[in-house]
Amino acid sequence: MDLAFTQEQEQFRNDLRQWLKQNLDRPFLEEIRDPANDEDKLFEIRRRFQVKLNDAGYLGMDWPAEWGGRGATAVEKAIFQEEIFRADVPPIPNLLGVTLLAPALIHHGSEAQRRRFIPNILNCEEVWCQGFSEPGAGSDLAGLRTRAEPDGEDFRIYGQKVWTTFGPWADWIFVLARTDADDRHGGISFFLLPLDAEGIEVRGLRQITGESEFGEVFFDGALAKREHLVGALGEGWRIAMTVLSYERGSTSLAEPARNDRFLADLARGISERGTAQRADVREKLAWLLVENEVMRGNGYRTLAGLASGRSPGPEASIEKLLWSELAQRQSDAALELLGPQAHLRADSAHARPTMDWSREYLWSRAGTIYSGSSEIQRNIIAKRVLNLPTR
Amino acid sequence: MQFELDEDRALLKQSTRELLDKEAPLEESRRIMEDSDLGFSKTLYAQLAELGYLGLTLTEAEGGAEVGCIGLVAVLEEMGRAAFPGPYLDLVLASEALRACDCDLAREWLGRIVAGDAIAVIARRDTLQADDAAPASAVFDGKQVAGSKLFVPFGSHADALIVTTRQGLVLVPRPGTGWNATPLETLDHAQRFVEIQLALPGTRLADAEQAQRALARVDRVAALGGAALALGLMERSLEMATQYTLEREAFGVPIATFQVLQHRQAEMFLQTEASRAAVYRAAWAVDSNEPNAALLVAAAKAYAGRAARFVCGASIQLHGGVGFTWEYDPHIFLKRTKTLEEFYGTTHQQLENALSAAGIA
Ligand SMILES: Cc1cc2nc3c(=O)[nH]c(=O)nc-3n(C[C@H](O)[C@H](O)[C@H](O)COP(=O)(O)OP(=O)(O)OC[C@H]3O[C@@H](n4cnc5c(N)ncnc54)[C@H](O)[C@@H]3O)c2cc1C
Repeated sequence: MDLAFTQEQEQFRNDLRQWLKQNLDRPFLEEIRDPANDEDKLFEIRRRFQVKLNDAGYLGMDWPAEWGGRGATAVEKAIFQEEIFRADVPPIPNLLGVTLLAPALIHHGSEAQRRRFIPNILNCEEVWCQGFSEPGAGSDLAGLRTRAEPDGEDFRIYGQKVWTTFGPWADWIFVLARTDADDRHGGISFFLLPLDAEGIEVRGLRQITGESEFGEVFFDGALAKREHLVGALGEGWRIAMTVLSYERGSTSLAEPARNDRFLADLARGISERGTAQRADVREKLAWLLVENEVMRGNGYRTLAGLASGRSPGPEASIEKLLWSELAQRQSDAALELLGPQAHLRADSAHARPTMDWSREYLWSRAGTIYSGSSEIQRNIIAKRVLNLPTR
Repeated sequence: MQFELDEDRALLKQSTRELLDKEAPLEESRRIMEDSDLGFSKTLYAQLAELGYLGLTLTEAEGGAEVGCIGLVAVLEEMGRAAFPGPYLDLVLASEALRACDCDLAREWLGRIVAGDAIAVIARRDTLQADDAAPASAVFDGKQVAGSKLFVPFGSHADALIVTTRQGLVLVPRPGTGWNATPLETLDHAQRFVEIQLALPGTRLADAEQAQRALARVDRVAALGGAALALGLMERSLEMATQYTLEREAFGVPIATFQVLQHRQAEMFLQTEASRAAVYRAAWAVDSNEPNAALLVAAAKAYAGRAARFVCGASIQLHGGVGFTWEYDPHIFLKRTKTLEEFYGTTHQQLENALSAAGIA
C-alpha cells in the first residue's frame, strides 16, 4: 500500500501550479460576481480559458499523440482536475465535447470524423452538447423515442431532447436516435448534427438557479448526414455506455479539493460570526470535514486502481453518491451556519465576497439527478455488486 | 500508487482469516462471550502471541513484526469480521504505552505481553463521567497508587495495570490477593469491564509529561484500531444481512427483491467501503508520518464509528424478528460497535481532533 505521488507526478503538479499562476486572471467566482459579466460574457471567459488550456497541452492529455495527447496517466489527469478545482478556474465550455464526444470518436469514430471534429472540440471553435435525455426517457434512457428515418443515404431526425446542457450556446449536438423501433438497445444509433440546421430549434430552459445553462432541442426532420453517423447503425447504445465510463475516476481528487475551498470559507464565516465555539456549530463543521476526508480516501483508492490499470466499476457509483450527497449536506449546513449572509445571491449587496453559497445550495440538487441519479447508482450497487435479484 | 496490501501484509491478513475461521468461529466465540468468566480463550491468545500477533507494530529490536499500523489494521479488520472476543486491542494499546516509556521495567513488561506471558492493560477512567481524554485523578506518592479506576478492560485477570495518575504512568502488578474488582456489565456481553479500587504499591513508568506523549500515541492507535474493528464488523454484518434477504421469503418472493431493502444494502455497502478507504489511508499516513495523519485518523474513527452503528443496526432491521433474538448473530456486532465508539476514542473527541488538526480552533 502506497498512496504517495511519484516525483514526476509532483513535478507535473508544480508545473501546472506555475502555469495557473501565470494564466489565470482571477478565480471564476470573481468573474461571476462582476456586474459587468452577463451569461454570454461568462461563456466567453470560459471559452478563452479553454483555448489557453488547450494551447498549453492540458486537454486530452491521455489521448493518442496525433490527437493532442501526451501520454498522461490517470494519476496526472486526476492531479490536473484537482488543481483546476482548487484554483477555481473558469469551467471549460466544451466539457461534453472534450470528455464524451472526442473519446467516442477516438474509439468508435471514422478517421474522417476524428479529423473533422476533434481539433475544433479542443480549440473550442465548435461547442458541443449532449442529446441523450428526452421528456419520456431519462433514467430509462433506452426508452428514448427520437427517431432517425432514412432519407436516401442520409437520415432525418424527428423528436425532442431535453435538459441539454450548453444547448443554448452549442454549435453541434451528438444525439441518440432510434433507427429500429423494435430493438430496445440495438435499435439506437449515434448521430452528429449542427444545431443551426434546418428543422432544429433550441430553447433555453430556466433552471432553479435562475440561469439557463440547459435547454430543449426540437427536431423536425433535421438532416443527419450518413458521414455523421458514429459507429455502425444500431451501435449507439454501446458507444454511449462505454463513453460514459471513460471519464470515471478522473474527478476522484477534484471534488474534495473543491470542498477544501468551501470548508475554508465556512470556517472563516463561522469565526466572523463569532459562533466558532458553539458546540452544535463545531459538530456540523467537523462532520463535513470528516466526510470530505473520507471521500478523498475513496478517491485515492479509485485512483490507485486506475494507476494499476483497472477501470473503476462500482467504485464509480460510490464516488458519485459520496460527492453529490455530501454537496447537499455541505451547502445546507453552510446556509444554516452562516445565516442570512449566505442566502444573498452573489450579485447582491453584502454578498460574501469569497463564496456563493446560495448558488451552491441550489446547484447541489442537480448532482443527485444527472449522470445517473442516486437511486440508479444504488440500483447498480445492489445488482452488480451485491448481486441482489430482480423480481 | 497502490491501495492493495503488499505481499507480506496480504498474507498476514489471509492467514488471520483462516486462523479465526478455524479457531474462532462464531459459535465458539459466542460460547466464550456467554459462558466464560475470562471472556477470551487463553490457549488461542497464547497461540496468537506465538505467531507474533502481539507485536505487529513493534520493531524487530522490540521483538515485533514491523508490519506497522497497516498490518495491525488488516488484522483487526479480520478480528472485527469474526467478532473475536477478548483484550487483543487492549494489549496492543498497553504495549504502545509501554514502548513510549523509557525504562527497563517498561521494556520488561512489553516483552512479557509480546511473548504472551502476561496480560497488562491501561487503567484510565477515574469517574463515571470521564472519557479517555479526561485528566487522571488517581495519585501516586512515590510508592503507592491511590484511587479507583472504572471500565478497565478485562481487568480482573490482568497481571498488571498501567495506571494513569496525576504523576504519570504507574505500573501496578497484581497483588497476591488479587484485585479489588467489581464487574461492570455493559450492553456488550463480550466485554469484561471492571472497576478496580487501588491502594497498592506501584512503580512509575513515565512522568506526567512523558505520559501525555505515550497516551497520545495510545489514543491514535486506539482510534485507528477501533475504526478497523468497526470496518470488519460492518463487512460481516452486511454479508449476513444480504445472505438472509436472499433466503427469507415474504409475499411469495425473496425479500432481497424489494428495492427498498436493496437500497438499504447499497447504502450499507457504500458506508463500509468508504470506511475501508478511510481506515487504510489513515494507517498508511501514520506509518509514513504524513503531516495530516492526525486528521485522517480522527476522520476514519468518527466516520467508521457512525457507519458501523448504521450498518450493524440495519442488519438487525433486515433480519426482522429473528434479528431481535439472542439466537441470531446480528446483535453481537451492534454491541461491539457501540463499545468501540465509546471506549476507543469517542466520536466527540475525534470530531474535536479533526477540527484542531485542520487548524480550526
Ligand atoms: C443540471 C442537469 C443537466 C443535465 N444535462 C444533460 C445533458 O447535457 N444531456 C442529457 O442528455 N441529459 C441531461 N440531463 C438529464 C439527466 O440525465 C436526467 O435528468 C436524468 O437521467 C434523470 O432522468 P429524468 O429526469 O427523466 O428522471 P426520471 O428518470 O423520471 O426519474 C425521476 C425519479 O425517479 C427515480 N427513478 C427512476 N428510475 C428508477 C429506478 N429504476 N429505481 C428507482 N428510482 C428510479 C429517479 O432517481 C428520480 O428520483 C441533465 C439533468 C440535469 C439536472
